[in-house]
Amino acid sequence: MAILKFEGVKKQFGDNVILKDINFEIEEGKFYTILGPSGSGKTTILRLIAGFDYPNGGSIYFAGKQINQLPANQRQVNTVFQDYALFPNLNVFENIAFGLRLKRMKKKEIQLRVQEALALVHLAGYAHRELDELSGGQKQRVAIARAIVNRPKVLLLDEALSALDHKLRKEMQSELRQLQRQLGITFIFVTHDQEEALAMSDQIMIINEGLIEQSGSPVDIYDEPLNHFVADFIGESNIIPATMVRDFAVAINGKEFICVDAGITPGEQVEVVLRPEDLDITTVEKGKLTATVDSQLFRGVDYQIMVHDTDGHEWKINSIHKTTVGKQIGITFDPEDIHVMRKNETQAEFDARLESYQGVEA
Amino acid sequence: MSEKKHLFFALPYYLWLALFVIAPLVLIFYQSFLNLHGQFTVQNYLDFAQSSVYLKMTFNSVWYAFLITGLTLIIAYPVAYIIAQFKSRDFWLALVILPTWINLLLKTYAFIGILGEKGSINTFLRFIGLGSHQLLFTDASFILVAAYIELPFMILPIYNAIVAIKPSLINASLDLGASRFQTFRRVIWPLTKNGVAAGIQAVFIPSLSLFMITRLIGGNRVITLGTAIEEHFLTTQNWGMGSTIGVVLVVAMLIVMLLTDDSKKGGRAK
Amino acid sequence: MKKTSTLSKLYLTVILLVMYLPIFYLIYYSFSSGDTMDGFRHFSWTHYQALFADTRMISIVLNTIIIALLAATLATAIGTSGALLIERIKRRTLRQNVLVLNNILMVSPDVIIGASFLIFFTFLGIKLGFWSVLLSHIAFCIPIVVLMVLPKVKELPQSLTDAAYDLGATRWQAFSQVTIPGIMDGIKAGFFMALTYSLDDFAVTFFVTGNGFSTLSVEIYSRARQGIDLEINALSTVMFLVSLLLVYVYYRFSVKPSSKGGVVK
Repeated sequence: MAILKFEGVKKQFGDNVILKDINFEIEEGKFYTILGPSGSGKTTILRLIAGFDYPNGGSIYFAGKQINQLPANQRQVNTVFQDYALFPNLNVFENIAFGLRLKRMKKKEIQLRVQEALALVHLAGYAHRELDELSGGQKQRVAIARAIVNRPKVLLLDEALSALDHKLRKEMQSELRQLQRQLGITFIFVTHDQEEALAMSDQIMIINEGLIEQSGSPVDIYDEPLNHFVADFIGESNIIPATMVRDFAVAINGKEFICVDAGITPGEQVEVVLRPEDLDITTVEKGKLTATVDSQLFRGVDYQIMVHDTDGHEWKINSIHKTTVGKQIGITFDPEDIHVMRKNETQAEFDARLESYQGVEA
Repeated sequence: MSEKKHLFFALPYYLWLALFVIAPLVLIFYQSFLNLHGQFTVQNYLDFAQSSVYLKMTFNSVWYAFLITGLTLIIAYPVAYIIAQFKSRDFWLALVILPTWINLLLKTYAFIGILGEKGSINTFLRFIGLGSHQLLFTDASFILVAAYIELPFMILPIYNAIVAIKPSLINASLDLGASRFQTFRRVIWPLTKNGVAAGIQAVFIPSLSLFMITRLIGGNRVITLGTAIEEHFLTTQNWGMGSTIGVVLVVAMLIVMLLTDDSKKGGRAK
Repeated sequence: MKKTSTLSKLYLTVILLVMYLPIFYLIYYSFSSGDTMDGFRHFSWTHYQALFADTRMISIVLNTIIIALLAATLATAIGTSGALLIERIKRRTLRQNVLVLNNILMVSPDVIIGASFLIFFTFLGIKLGFWSVLLSHIAFCIPIVVLMVLPKVKELPQSLTDAAYDLGATRWQAFSQVTIPGIMDGIKAGFFMALTYSLDDFAVTFFVTGNGFSTLSVEIYSRARQGIDLEINALSTVMFLVSLLLVYVYYRFSVKPSSKGGVVK
């Protein structure tokens, strides 16, 4: 059963519409990520779940009960804030104990729960430190401990890792994932970092301009982006205009290629997505498309090579082999590397189409 | 419910605004149109505008306040600048602040002794053969003592403005080839203008109203607008005229604030 | 940066000497057995004995302290609620206007405040004395408290109160356990400034004090107008020492005691 449900939720501040129509269901015990550019409304969704703001329309259900106007202090949800929001006048122990003290829990119980929470975030022995003795990463852990010590049904994390440096962030990502499995509660993580989202989540919701663009597992979203925005936002991509010829065939630059997409009207103008790492460089003769190398950038693991084809489209290719700037090359790829996107197709329509022809195929 | 609570918290503050900020201002303005018999009249303003004594006093007040402000600024800026360079600046700043904790009447009173006919300065003058002079009860002594009293209030805002300048800005200026003087003129001075403006406001406005100093040091003569107001309210009991002068003083004050505020805007626009 | 030159050190020393000279001058003569501030006779405690035997003076000192403590406390309470209120006003222009009104008493010349309060109290029929002085002191201390507290309120992240609600706090709990501790530095500074303003005020008090009631400033003024009285010098010494003590207390308690001790572990 869904622990949390949004039904047609709207939110605006004055004339500024932040959320237009948000619908989703959150299941118990999974790691969700709400991903979107800044200003997309993702933090607002979190604030509506936490109860810091109330929706202007639609309904929010928590464990089946509508909680639209329920104040934050009565919700079984806790938040890890972007700036940690640790109380500067209290030490580590008192910060974590804050929620328990408000519940008038017994001292011994508090002691036990705080120690347990500290151990979970690998800060055992830090209870009596002052906040200004902690590093950024340690403050982050305290903030997490302060939230989970209350044993919420859902833990909200608002850009929780964005203040940390790259290495620490990677560490915290796997730790968070581990913590979520250990606790078995739902995590809802908000970020603008697509790499982070792909690495951590069971489910990703991509938000843009107050609407959910696509939701699904990281693999689904990466391999089958629904539209231009998602394809562009998630990972690196080449998005090229194309024409659908018939089922399983699409024309790029007037040349026909076999693909794995179907159920689209022949002759329809579409876009195809090809990931840079799926493209290979070969000789002009063996290539499916011919292109000229514009630039080459060494990035450690690979080279990022920018080329333009005979029709003037720019292509980005990630290759472990280097090439020469100015050289004529051939680009080659496999049919399953092509992903066709229809314009203005909704997720439901996409899913229905997928089902129809995958059924045929099988 | 929470709105009611909110109002309960806010009520004392709003009451204060209404009763102690707005009402007194309205009342002093109203009172300025009343004569000694409580009749409504513009006579006070006419008297003020036509009396050479009042006009001269107004001019003197502004002129003296200007001198006091100028004097403190010239002395204060280097002091603030030097302290800002020290490592132990907090200690030196505390030394500057400490005298402000001594009641200003006491400090003024000290000058009665220092400047008196048999006081230290005259003793010193006699010693070097210049003879004794009437120092007390002169306009100059008023300006001197007032400047002394106001000095810390000029130093503080300038100091705050100077320490707010990031050292990297000065290094950048030097790095770009500016001399120390050019750095001062083109970087430090423009960035401390707001502090100077705050200092001018903090000194000029009180200088218009230091009646106790004119009474004790300036020789019990009515030489500034502040003294005139005190005289009318507490001695001659002509509240109407006192209020009229008060209104004039408020206008003078507003002009100063607009002028110092203007320099700020100019700086922003550039 | 370059070391400060000897010249600037000399300049600073001279200015500081001049700033302290009158104070030490007063203290010096307080120990003279004479009656004037010219020519030190010989060392004596006479004026201190006179001061401590002067019950009128002692009751006035007590009055002044009572007024200052009451005024600072009440002004701190009202000013803090004012600062929180101003920060809550969403409309920019309205907030700006309230701030302008707030600052009027900060920038008004003392005589204007004194004169207008005098008219106000007379208009309401409030008898001049303790209450009029107390009300006036509260009134001119409020804006300084607001100005000291407001930056702290602004600095306090919204997320801190959100976090309190999130952890189950009621509005009152969030206010008393998070907001107030968060702005405590500003409240303390505001209280001390209010105390200083009240203790130091002369002009406003002079207008609204009437005949029966007097504060230290007013008393010194009226005595000084009658000429030199070395009892005042003795009083200066006492007040200077008290000020030193207050400065010490202020720095001791306003500067956060560093918690370095824990790092050693």
